[in-house]
Amino acid sequence: LSGKRGIAFDEIAKSAFEEGRGRLATQLLNYEPRAGRQVPLLMSMEEDEIALDKAIESTDSDLVFYVLLHLKKKLPIATFFRIINDRPLAYSLIESSARVMDTELLKDLYYQDDRKTDGANVILRESLAQENFTTRIDKLKLASKLLKDSKDHLVDATALEESIKLLNIQESLERDIFEENFVGLSVNETIFKLTRLGFHPRANKIRSEFKMPDKRFWWIKLRGLVAKREWA
Amino acid sequence: MVTERATEFDPSKIKDQALRDLCSVLEGVRGKKSLVVDKALSGPLGLIAQSSLLQATQIKNTPKIPGQDLEHSLFFVPRRTPLCDRILEDEGVFGDVTINEYPLYFIPLEPDVLSLELDDAFEDLYLHKTYSSIFNSAKALMLLQQQYGLFPRITGQGDKAKKLLDALLRMRNEAAAEDASTSMALAPSSIIENLVIIDRETDFVTPFLTQLTYEGLIDEVFGINNSHVELEASIIGSAMQNPVEATGRSVGAPPATPQGKKRKVLLEGSDRVFSDLRNINFSAVPGILKKTALRIDADFKKKDDYKTVSEMKTFVTKVLGPAQKDRTSLSMHFNIAEVIQKHINTELFEKTLEIQQSLIAGYSSNQQHELLTELIARGASLETVLRLLCLYSCINTGFKPKDFDLFRREILQGYGYEHVLTLDALEKIALLQSRTVAGSTAAAASRTNYDYLRKPLKLFSENVNESEPDDIVYVYSVYAPLSVRLVQCVIQKSAMAQAARGAGNLNPNSAGWKGFEDLVKNVSGKTFDEVQRGEDKAVRARMILDGQNDKKVTVVFFLGGITYTEIAALRWIAKQEDSRRQIIIATTGIINGNKIIQAATTDARTKPRQV
Repeated sequence: LSGKRGIAFDEIAKSAFEEGRGRLATQLLNYEPRAGRQVPLLMSMEEDEIALDKAIESTDSDLVFYVLLHLKKKLPIATFFRIINDRPLAYSLIESSARVMDTELLKDLYYQDDRKTDGANVILRESLAQENFTTRIDKLKLASKLLKDSKDHLVDATALEESIKLLNIQESLERDIFEENFVGLSVNETIFKLTRLGFHPRANKIRSEFKMPDKRFWWIKLRGLVAKREWA
Repeated sequence: MVTERATEFDPSKIKDQALRDLCSVLEGVRGKKSLVVDKALSGPLGLIAQSSLLQATQIKNTPKIPGQDLEHSLFFVPRRTPLCDRILEDEGVFGDVTINEYPLYFIPLEPDVLSLELDDAFEDLYLHKTYSSIFNSAKALMLLQQQYGLFPRITGQGDKAKKLLDALLRMRNEAAAEDASTSMALAPSSIIENLVIIDRETDFVTPFLTQLTYEGLIDEVFGINNSHVELEASIIGSAMQNPVEATGRSVGAPPATPQGKKRKVLLEGSDRVFSDLRNINFSAVPGILKKTALRIDADFKKKDDYKTVSEMKTFVTKVLGPAQKDRTSLSMHFNIAEVIQKHINTELFEKTLEIQQSLIAGYSSNQQHELLTELIARGASLETVLRLLCLYSCINTGFKPKDFDLFRREILQGYGYEHVLTLDALEKIALLQSRTVAGSTAAAASRTNYDYLRKPLKLFSENVNESEPDDIVYVYSVYAPLSVRLVQCVIQKSAMAQAARGAGNLNPNSAGWKGFEDLVKNVSGKTFDEVQRGEDKAVRARMILDGQNDKKVTVVFFLGGITYTEIAALRWIAKQEDSRRQIIIATTGIINGNKIIQAATTDARTKPRQV
């Protein structure tokens, strides 16, 4: 039969399945080129992994995700992770949908695969979305600790520690200097703002705390003074 | 959907079809209706239908009316999928809505440009790797094939481009299975000669450079979205008083806009003044503006030549009307050009360009590092700085580990520690890397080697005529976009072979990558050249139906986005090839360096949720 056009293999396969000949049905379905018809049938025949592979072959992401949603409901999470692990498209789809809808699933996924950097990034994002100052710091600490464990991203771990230091300084600045916002500014922006407001010793202190190169500091200071219209 | 047979390539038909489909979809819902449009869709939809048309189909723009019993109709664009049905079912509303689909794929932005207007194609392809835009692109190209016949030859470069080819071939088989009798429609086209697919991944350098054409600079300075640019009322100028006659249809803004408020203006080729300006290097813009001003002035003065009443009548409708329109447009473009000129004259801009051009030329020195750190200290925008860093990394196979750490620190202290996420995203797309990663054997084999390609493909050149260009180099003043050079390797072989010199005796009739196979090996990703054949009978039938055109169409598809400079360069080639072929540009969307960086900074821009 192969080589002939226009034969609805999906329907033949369906009849075969209804007759109780599951194996034959699966084999017949291999001849069906239309993934849109193949996949739902395979799912109803409980040939889930084949259904997933056929959906992936079709490059139709929506179809793949449809199968994945079905599998996730049906299977224990560990089995589900095992299935998506050696299928890159399935993995990316779950990863990117979990980013917006289910960060806990994302954390589990990264933990399972020992992807510490990615795990830390999820927590870092949670920290950014956090209104409460203390929780924000706690999340940063957690992320930094995860990065330290992974060892190949020590630079990032140090950066996050610095960011905790900066946030604490900024909070105390807000307490001392009323009606000015500092929390959330970058190191450069903080120094710029302090210079513009005329708090030069504080600016100097941050400069040394964060080991800022001289040249950069003087550029920022210059800009701050210009903004203040103080021509020295 | 019925697709009619076409004998020539006419993108405006796509627009008509899209409009007809929309009307029939809307008329399917009886009576008055209110329309709730997905925000991402409203821009592209505006290019198909204007609000006046929507009113004609009895749409009132009233979003939600609580407490009222309404019928709900849901239109999926471009298609309904089992997944959406499933989600609606899970939410328990599946039975309450009438579901339909509106197959909107390619939107013709211009007679020679088709775009899917997928804003997130870049993230989808290179960051998240979910590839839904590959499927959509394949569908859109498949619709072209159903109308014009199969692309006789598909030549392309890049891993994602190869995935697109596979999807396209697969869809052809699916379509054949759908209906055996349509095999005729799926014979190779006699209107289209070939499809060239370029993966954005093969050339990231081009979008990172500052575009130097007029339209490119408008995109860099103001930003163009769905062919619209948002401008201050003072720039639009006299067009303000008369929004209907204004160049570029004004979109839904009330006539009395308060000072300082921005308004959207449509930039399109039917505006004569803009179409003269858009593709030229900015340095030639003042000259053209002056010429246009003189021409319009002459048009107005012509009135003395007309004596009789009927002559006057012709004059008023044929000359005065368009001249009036041009004058309004001209004053707006004078204002735009002035803003751009101011921007170009800033020291930050000059330094940015200096770094870019020395990187392109292949000079690597400490001076670039100095300039870069200075830009950061002087508060240049994050986009500007990251574009330069990525440019450096792409051209020089990553940063030395010491410099890599230094610049990461500069970015984090300069723009915020949340950009740990941004830097991580850029590293994942292989845009900003340390040499230890980028230089590894596996990575080196798959990356585009600009150092190698610079000479044979003449990517860098200092002798370019900016007002009367003799090469596509003019769009960046010193650099010819690699992506477009690749297209030239397929369709302008002899011109390219002269530049490459090495490839001496080349048969001008050879197709695909022939003659440039060795060069393409140094470009990232897979290389392919696929010939689509049909049954002899079908091919003959097709030829009889369509007639044999001497001038055939080349479709150039940019997967992952195209820049305005690349469009200008392709148009320059199209002009040269005019006697032999028609070039149609197709893409997932229009992109620039800022949009790439913004895609990478999405996570870092996470804000606390407002309760």
